[in-house]
Amino acid sequence: MSFYTVLGVLFTVIIISVVFWVLAPKENQTVWRSTVTLSLAMMFLMWAITYLTQLHPLIEPRRSDLRPEFVE
Amino acid sequence: MSAVETVPKDEAMFRSAVMSLVQLYIPQEIARDAVYTLGQLGIVQFRDLNSETNSFQRTFVDEIRRLDNVQRQYRYFFKLLQKHNIPLYEGAIEQYDRPSNLNDANIMSQLIVPPSTSAIDDHVQNAALLEQRLVQMEEATEQIEAQKVDLEQYRIVLQSGDQFFQSGDSMALAATATVVDLEDTLRRSSITINFVTGIIPRDKINTFEQILWRVLRGNLFFKHIEIEQPIFDVKTQSYIAKNAFIVYSHGDLILDRIKRIAESLDAHLYEIDKNPESRSQKLLKINENLSDLYTVLQSTTTTLESELFGIGQELNSWYQDIAREKSTYETLNKFNFDKNRKTLIAEGWIPEDELSFLKDCLVQMTSKLGVDVPSIIQVLGTNKTPPTFHRLNKFTQAFQSICDSYGVPQYREVNPGLPTIVTFPFMFAIMFGDMGHGFIMTMAALVFVLNEKKFDRMKRGEILDMAYTGRYIILFMGLFSMYTGFLYNDIFSRSMTLFKSGWEWPEDFKAGEMLYAKKVGTYPIGIDWAWHGAENSLLFSNSYKMKLSIVMGFIHMTYSYMFSLVNHLHFKSMIDIVANFIPGLLFMQGIFGYLSVCIIYKWSVDWIGDGKAAPGLLNMIINMFLAPGTIDEELYPHQAKVQIFLLGMALLCVPWLLLMKPLHFKFTHSEKKNSFPTADDIETQALLHDENEDEIAETEGTIAANNDSEEGEGHGEELGDVIIHQVIHTIEFCLNCVSHTASYLRLWALSLAHAQLSSVLWSMTLELSFGVPGALGVFMTVSLFTLWFCLTIAVLVMMEGTSAMLHSLRLHWVESMSKYFVGDGIPYEPFVFQYLDMETDVANNAGNIAA
Repeated sequence: MSFYTVLGVLFTVIIISVVFWVLAPKENQTVWRSTVTLSLAMMFLMWAITYLTQLHPLIEPRRSDLRPEFVE
Repeated sequence: MSAVETVPKDEAMFRSAVMSLVQLYIPQEIARDAVYTLGQLGIVQFRDLNSETNSFQRTFVDEIRRLDNVQRQYRYFFKLLQKHNIPLYEGAIEQYDRPSNLNDANIMSQLIVPPSTSAIDDHVQNAALLEQRLVQMEEATEQIEAQKVDLEQYRIVLQSGDQFFQSGDSMALAATATVVDLEDTLRRSSITINFVTGIIPRDKINTFEQILWRVLRGNLFFKHIEIEQPIFDVKTQSYIAKNAFIVYSHGDLILDRIKRIAESLDAHLYEIDKNPESRSQKLLKINENLSDLYTVLQSTTTTLESELFGIGQELNSWYQDIAREKSTYETLNKFNFDKNRKTLIAEGWIPEDELSFLKDCLVQMTSKLGVDVPSIIQVLGTNKTPPTFHRLNKFTQAFQSICDSYGVPQYREVNPGLPTIVTFPFMFAIMFGDMGHGFIMTMAALVFVLNEKKFDRMKRGEILDMAYTGRYIILFMGLFSMYTGFLYNDIFSRSMTLFKSGWEWPEDFKAGEMLYAKKVGTYPIGIDWAWHGAENSLLFSNSYKMKLSIVMGFIHMTYSYMFSLVNHLHFKSMIDIVANFIPGLLFMQGIFGYLSVCIIYKWSVDWIGDGKAAPGLLNMIINMFLAPGTIDEELYPHQAKVQIFLLGMALLCVPWLLLMKPLHFKFTHSEKKNSFPTADDIETQALLHDENEDEIAETEGTIAANNDSEEGEGHGEELGDVIIHQVIHTIEFCLNCVSHTASYLRLWALSLAHAQLSSVLWSMTLELSFGVPGALGVFMTVSLFTLWFCLTIAVLVMMEGTSAMLHSLRLHWVESMSKYFVGDGIPYEPFVFQYLDMETDVANNAGNIAA
């Protein structure tokens, strides 16, 4: 689990996008291609940013309302 | 795009379709049929060749005037239908739609045959006859109605007579008792107390009394009774509350005066007898008359209504026929006659790939009509700006209209409507991220999407119509919100524990002790649920969402900026690439690209594990400008040199951006007299160079007359204009880089606010009921759930959703589209028959007349 995970997913997303680009339906092709690849790209970005923030966090969660009997 | 060749027609979504200006020579005999056919195809946008002639001097004014009259008559019929509550039979509306899948093989069989001119003449005559008949019937009905009201009022007065004279007599006597002397004199002079009775609108009763009081100096007795049922008023065609009244006074002169005053106040006077017996006789007579009148009225109304019912069956199809006929003639009015008035000449824009289809159509039509003179289509070369035409479908339409309401894309420039399909709902979703709210939104959109046919034919209100037209936008917004909500790990502000948490709490501790979690891994998808409920969760989500919005914003802007390169390449404008695109790109990437890279780099380094202090990026970027070369906390080796280089590059870009284009203009302009295009219309000009210039010269003769009014500007670009324009552009671009990046922080603010608001709503309502035992607990849970659910829909989904949508809209119009969009296109509005809904038409027309 590291930065390489992000690169790996990026690579996968690129491959999926390319495959879809080629296989896109003939009707409304531009719309299909643009919509699907752009969605994939934005969803990837969002995930990657969320993942990266938690990769090497500088602060840790802190709470004082836990009770010993509820900890597994 | 290479794949375009495989599809028969250009999809025209990334760029608008290539348009050609064509000239049509149509023999006069078939002109009407030809235009009727074209109106059903809806592919040609006709130019007005008689724009200098005013509308009264055109060729087919008489026809249009005649049809206008028929339309007016039809609208009158429709109003009568409404008045008598008779439904309008609309028939199969689909038949009036533009046939959706026209194939070249047999076009004519798929189109409606235009009604013959004699059929239209029949319509006209029919309408005139019907109007005459209906007007007569209406008048007769109104007359009878007036009589009826009159008699009814009389009856009311007669009935009230009992009350008047019961109390009135004693009162009048009492009143007169005080002036016994006068009474005596009156009797002696054989003047009896007399009275006036009638009916008056209730709101005038006070005025009436006051006036009478003043005029007669208090020498009267006035009494009135409220009539419970409002009475129909023929003049105003509405029901009015009225009172029956009686005025006692004496003297014929005075009575005359009272009558005149009453009549001036819209009162109706009815004479009644003081004697109850003669009153009841009169009443009997009136009742008799009334019952006669009722029968007459009923039979008249029945005839009228059955007539109207027959009209209601046909009216809509007549109306559509006439509307089509009228728009045919209106289009014909745009055409020119040739010299010997045998042929009509039309000019219009048509997508290039529809040209052969149009030719086929006209050939088939001519052969069908059996005319041996063919219509001729000739493609013209032109220097006019063609209209922008994107082929839209029900899905892309709404997204395109988002962009078009800001500005219609220039001819052949990159269409912002295409990326908007994803970026608009996604930017929305970043601000609206919550799986639950996204789910509600998706469900709402699905109702519209799945019941498209039903909603399409429905008469929709303004709000419903907006939601319906935007159904695919809402659907995408909902879906993406579910995705971002999943990443934010928010479902109605609760979190989901789908994966194993990357944090572990210590094993043994005392209650109330401050605990710090230990990192054991990284949560794979989304925000770790361990943060949910942690005391410092806000600290974490703040930093996360701020960086998220900066990085997403930067990528969105860069993506948009790349379209300007695509545009410049397409319009072959090298100078814009070198003098605008490249320095702009370097400037933007040098500062904000660098910041984004730093953000990602900082995330990827294990600062705690390496035992180094994590540098603050905000200070770093500020110091990069204020104290170049000094680094407080090092992010990476050789940081100072890199930053100085980037800063130097960015600073260099400013004079580059500022000077290069004006200088280039100066040199090329002095060499070539034929001015090189600049500034705004660079694309237009570049595009014109594509068209072969000889052809322009050739056809100049034929169309010059229509040309000069529109073109002619644009060539007079001066060096001063270029300089001013470039200065503005430079300042604007550099400042916008900063302000637009900052503007994307709204993603952070809104998503944080949304998450906080939904968690506050949860804890203030539904959470209160948890743990309450017994019946009270049940009651609280049910009622608080209702409250929570209603507020979630109203506030979190509707209100917050609207606000996030507006913010996303702004991000597109301002932050994204300003990077590449010119947007001075002319919309393509082909001539096509519209289905005219009678109800809206009548309402509009009434509005027009009132205005």
